[in-house]
Amino acid sequence: MVDTVFLALSVLTIGSAIVALEIRSLIYGSIALMITLSGIAGFFLLLDAPFVAMFQLSVYVGSIAVLILFTVMLVRRELIFNKIEDKRRRYAGIGLMLALMLGIGMIIIGSGMKSMETNSPTVDYKKIGADFLTYYSPALIVMALILASSVVGALTLARREDITNDQRAD
Amino acid sequence: MSTIAPQFRLSRFIASLFDIIFWVLLIFSLVGLPIVFIILFYIKMPIVNHQLLTPYLAMTWMADPSRTLPIIKTLLHTTFFHVVAFPGFGFAALLAAATIFVERKFLAKIQLRVGPLYCGKIEGILQLMGDGLKLISKEIIIPAKADKPIFWVGPLLFVGTAGAFVSLIPVAPGWVVANPNVGLLAVFATIGFFPIISVLSAWAANNKWTFIGGLRALHQMIAFEIPLILSLLSIVIMTGTLNLSQIVESQQHYWWIVFAPVSAIVFFICIIAELERVPFDLPEAESEIVAGWLTEFSGMMYGLIQLGTYLKLYAFAGLFTVLFLGGWNGPMVWPAFPADIVTQGITIGPITAKIAGLPLFDQDMLNGTLWFVIKTVGVILLILLPRGVFPRIRIDMLLHTGWYKLIGLSFINIFIALGLLYAGVLGPGGLIQ
Repeated sequence: MVDTVFLALSVLTIGSAIVALEIRSLIYGSIALMITLSGIAGFFLLLDAPFVAMFQLSVYVGSIAVLILFTVMLVRRELIFNKIEDKRRRYAGIGLMLALMLGIGMIIIGSGMKSMETNSPTVDYKKIGADFLTYYSPALIVMALILASSVVGALTLARREDITNDQRAD
Repeated sequence: MSTIAPQFRLSRFIASLFDIIFWVLLIFSLVGLPIVFIILFYIKMPIVNHQLLTPYLAMTWMADPSRTLPIIKTLLHTTFFHVVAFPGFGFAALLAAATIFVERKFLAKIQLRVGPLYCGKIEGILQLMGDGLKLISKEIIIPAKADKPIFWVGPLLFVGTAGAFVSLIPVAPGWVVANPNVGLLAVFATIGFFPIISVLSAWAANNKWTFIGGLRALHQMIAFEIPLILSLLSIVIMTGTLNLSQIVESQQHYWWIVFAPVSAIVFFICIIAELERVPFDLPEAESEIVAGWLTEFSGMMYGLIQLGTYLKLYAFAGLFTVLFLGGWNGPMVWPAFPADIVTQGITIGPITAKIAGLPLFDQDMLNGTLWFVIKTVGVILLILLPRGVFPRIRIDMLLHTGWYKLIGLSFINIFIALGLLYAGVLGPGGLIQ
């Protein structure tokens, strides 16, 4: 059962990732990207980590994919990028990816992780929180600083000088 | 000669009776018996009351009500029943349908109109059924240059996402479709899908009104999702759990609205904005952009979107009840089932039906459902009320409300909750348990 679900999720995730890269329509590409990200959330569910799965859904599908969709809809395609048609480049990319995947796959198979443990208990989110506040607290502080700096940066960008006060929204 | 049926002949009546009997027997032997054998051979049947449930046993139970009760009780606790009927889709759709009708009458009474009046003689009670029949029988028109796959899938996805949201709401103790440990996060993940669906179906219709409406919906929902999530953090801090059933159980003595009134207000405003209701109905502003992102939907596709919208309304009202108003908690007002009926059966005059174990639902469940429905209906009426009172606000005011005021306000109650927790008032070992 778990193997079947894993295989189905893998096919869905990788297939829609390929579609996201290859399809001409940018909207369909972003929809395929959403399916890929949801598939990854499914992998987290299989790994007994519903907390991470739900955050994967609400952050990646609910926010980042929406941002991509928004950009694609509002900006003309020629302004984002111009596509260089090059057969050799594509084949080189596919070959590189296959080599990388083979290498990682051999390492993983060689390390003895061949089957999935399905009876292990669900990861407790309270333990994640406790770990973040004790052992990983430096990482938490660094993340908080990065987020704060990005918020300040966004506020600075939003505060444009060339708009006079009576043009401002409120 | 009878005036009701002037062509009446007794012989024809008897002949028609025989005709009906003949067809019933024929259909039963050609269709019914094969179905019985297919079930016997291929479907694994459950064991009810220490007996394997075969179709023949089911038929004997049909003749005797006391033997039917175990089957019904087993059915009531299956996942299928939970999803289709009681805490899931059927219950929510019933409340949603009632909401549509009550909304029209309620707004009419506020504005000194009469509202629906003619369908069904009494206060237009059948108006909803008439509207439904009209929507089903209308032609579904797809715009010529629409993106057909997305346009077709949009309404279905909308109803599906609303149904997923409904399935997370606990109605009575133990009566919930899905009860994950991370229930509140699952709610956040589910409501994140709504803006995607609206903007995609708006884009797919290939119409400027729908596209403007879809972009407005996207702006609005994303702006109000952040204060919505932040306002619920105070509840999570105070209860220490993300499971919605446990959050309800933690409110046995007092409701969280007592300690988190600011969160409740922020959450309520965010609900109205997420539901695109007046005064935040910019995505469907009918006086500016026809019907916003719903403009090109016709027939039952529009009906599905409306169904999804009202399911979402019920789910949000239920979530408000669960988080702030104590969910199913309330004084026991449901009368206890008489003990002699449980053991002896009912005796009414000459008829005596000896049916043991009659109450299908226990007292706690009925009482809990009653309180949940009363509170939820109250919240739904509060959500409907602004539509009769307020005008629509401008989009810059809307975004200003979402991004500045509500986010700021939602932080207040987080600090209040933390203060209560560290002062030792709430939480494990606190003054109030």
